[in-house]
Amino acid sequence: MLKQQILIVDDEEINRVILRGLFEEEYEILEAENGQVATVQIENNSNIALILLDVVMPVMDGFWVLEYMKTHDLLEKIPVILITGETILDSDDQAYAYGVADVMHKPFYPHIVRRRAKNIIELYQNKYYMQERLKEQEEAIRAQEKKLREGNEFMIDALSSVVEFRSLETGEHIRRIKYFTRILLKYLMKYFPKYGITPAQVDEIARASALHDIGKIGIPDAILLKPARLTPEEFEIMKTHTTIGCDILEKFRDKQDNEFYRYCYEICRYHHERWDGNGYPDHLVGEEIPISAHIVAVADVYDALVSPRVYKSIYANNIAYDMIMNGECGQFSPDVLECFALAKEDFFNIVEVIKMFDFSS
Amino acid sequence: MSMVDELKELGANVDEAMQRFMNNAALYEKMLKKLPNMMKGTQVMEAIEAGNIDGAIEIAHTLKGVLGNLSITPLYEAYTDIVALLRQNDTEKAKSVLEGSFPVEEKVVACIEKYQ
Repeated sequence: MLKQQILIVDDEEINRVILRGLFEEEYEILEAENGQVATVQIENNSNIALILLDVVMPVMDGFWVLEYMKTHDLLEKIPVILITGETILDSDDQAYAYGVADVMHKPFYPHIVRRRAKNIIELYQNKYYMQERLKEQEEAIRAQEKKLREGNEFMIDALSSVVEFRSLETGEHIRRIKYFTRILLKYLMKYFPKYGITPAQVDEIARASALHDIGKIGIPDAILLKPARLTPEEFEIMKTHTTIGCDILEKFRDKQDNEFYRYCYEICRYHHERWDGNGYPDHLVGEEIPISAHIVAVADVYDALVSPRVYKSIYANNIAYDMIMNGECGQFSPDVLECFALAKEDFFNIVEVIKMFDFSS
Repeated sequence: MSMVDELKELGANVDEAMQRFMNNAALYEKMLKKLPNMMKGTQVMEAIEAGNIDGAIEIAHTLKGVLGNLSITPLYEAYTDIVALLRQNDTEKAKSVLEGSFPVEEKVVACIEKYQ
């Protein structure tokens, strides 16, 4: 291991020689005959464990060095022992106010100087070591959290995809909904601060969006897979996928943290509500519709339009865009439509984008 | 008699200083030999006479530190007083202590120079 360094700053060679003699067996000794040289030594050496600093020196004095260290945030890292010829205590106070580790007086008492120096080096190293350990632990916890979150997300997506596969659709719908939701929320967060959406909430809503159609698990095959338009009676049954989803979720309620659960619930239940109140199941009007569900609704409608379904063919991007903006496919709030307009290019480019990004995180 | 023994007779606390130099007698003597060039008692006096009290304090303060570390006790004690008196603006008393230190300074310097 590299030898630790001690920097001795004193204008008198005799004093430096004495201090060198005390420490040179165990440490690499650096010397400086004034404050200016000391700062150069500090800049050029990365392994300084202690600075022994004289106060009264020509060119730049000890307090100047302390000032330099303070402005460079070094006093926290490198302990300084101030060595003073003063017998008055005024300068001691001043020194401690700067944050020096200790003050010693000339003439030196070698054993005391050595012992105190060692104690201080150890103290600072323990402090530094503790801080480093804490940082490492924090990182480990964060990595674990990320892993848990990823595992969680995988389960949610897998569960949602089961329903998708039953409708003979690919799991891609889930990934696209999450992507569209995230994009729309990004613009909502940026341009509509009144909703108070935070990056953490964007993340939660996007994850929750995967579950929007989970209630379809309770819809009979004859209706879910019918290769033609549904009769009014069948459509009534189809609509219940929103409330069935909520029934499923409610069974897990106490296992979920509140906000994420709330988003899942809102999205399952209200992603077919309309701004004009003509949606289902609760016929919510305007701002009664939770923003999470309303955002996912646009994402869902857009994806349905541009994807092939058993009962329809694909619409081109720009046609789908116009249909949503004109209110031909649902009724959305002006704010959400503005976000959709802003996100237009991102939506159109999704085929390229989806190849570029890994959506697992 | 060696230089160190002679200095001991002049009042230097040689044993204390040897400890400070990790019992390295050669190093102690080497540093002692630097002292004659550093002893600037007359410069302190000149600065006081010229009214440059800050300058006088600076020189006296440095000497005090070195004399202390070399354990030239009588001179160290004199300069401790001189620095304190100058700080209290008692220049007359400082001057008299300084004058009183000159014969000791002469003897110490002469002793060291003998061995150079």
